[in-house]
Amino acid sequence: MQVNEASILADITEMLQAILGDDAVDGEITMATRFQDDLAMESIDVISLAGRLQVRYGDRVNFAQLIAGFDLESVRQLRVGQLVEHIVAALDGADASPGKAGTPA
Amino acid sequence: MSMVRANGLSLHVEQLAPPDAVAGTVSGVHGAAPTAVLIHGMALDTLASWYLTLAHPLAATGLRVIMYDLRGHGHSERPPEGYTLDDFVDDLAALLAALDVTGPVHLLGNSFGGTIAFGYATRYPERVAAIVAVESSPPIAAWFERVVQQLHGAATYLPREDALTEIRAERGEWASRRARLAREVLAATSLARDLPTSRLPSEERIAAIRCPVLWVYGGDSAVVELAPDVRRLLPEARIVTVSGQKHTLLVDQPSTVRDIVLSWLRQECGVHPRRPDTARLGGRDGQDQRSAPETIH
Repeated sequence: MQVNEASILADITEMLQAILGDDAVDGEITMATRFQDDLAMESIDVISLAGRLQVRYGDRVNFAQLIAGFDLESVRQLRVGQLVEHIVAALDGADASPGKAGTPA
Repeated sequence: MSMVRANGLSLHVEQLAPPDAVAGTVSGVHGAAPTAVLIHGMALDTLASWYLTLAHPLAATGLRVIMYDLRGHGHSERPPEGYTLDDFVDDLAALLAALDVTGPVHLLGNSFGGTIAFGYATRYPERVAAIVAVESSPPIAAWFERVVQQLHGAATYLPREDALTEIRAERGEWASRRARLAREVLAATSLARDLPTSRLPSEERIAAIRCPVLWVYGGDSAVVELAPDVRRLLPEARIVTVSGQKHTLLVDQPSTVRDIVLSWLRQECGVHPRRPDTARLGGRDGQDQRSAPETIH
């Protein structure tokens, strides 16, 4: 699991640098990094990250399911760890059934 | 997320595929799925407003959902110039071509996004299956006068040093951050200068739009004052007013707007939610109360 987490964190770090620019990502991205408080991200930045992760991990991970409970303000309060845990759980899960609603194309 | 090259610009696009079982998609090919394009508003808006409200419920009905950041907004490229209605319509047409969308699309627009939808429909009427416009107007002079007045007011006020502090004190952190986005867009682009020079379609062309149209207004918003013009130009359109709501109706009352839109799509366009459980995605249940009464015209 550690290997999974480490590689997912590396992916997210790379994506955040692409979205926000290298200067905005000051220091190491960890499971505890908060999008709003640590990275000053807007909701559109979080959605952009989720979109990139969806392209990276495909239908095996349903980000719609994760994001659906949030609104424009609360989505910024997500932590990197919540995304990582969601991805790990989805990749570990035996149920990778296709056809879930709202899986990004 | 992907960046799509359209009309000479790099546009930020997010897409949701319908459930495979509903749309009959094969290996990621969307041939059979009807398409909805969600267009956000001017200056202080991004595709996030749609993504976190109606995007997932629409995908659950079997629609392929496309959202994009308008030029100059969100993560799309921000050219310094080129912000007339025709520029926005050209972007939409080029984006759909780049994404191989060939059949008629359902256009959903929030505020000025609805105006872009109507601008597109006047130029390409055969390519539009239906229009849903939230807190919006077709491209008519009375509406542009309002939008231009707002833009000029914002362009004058927002650069002031204490503007964001004042907005934060009066209307909260969220309003202040939206104002900061608008300030950045207005400072870096000719939007406020270009929009007033837009070539508007004739009222005859607007009145000639034949696809089903739904208007959703907030009862306490200034935009609802344009509803009589809408009714005059498009007497067949459905107009729903949600009492007590303002211009930010979509993000303030996502569940209410979702119920109105999905019900209308079902009745007027034969779009049915195939999976009621997943159709509720996209708005926090209980977040907004369904208590706001609606008036249907």
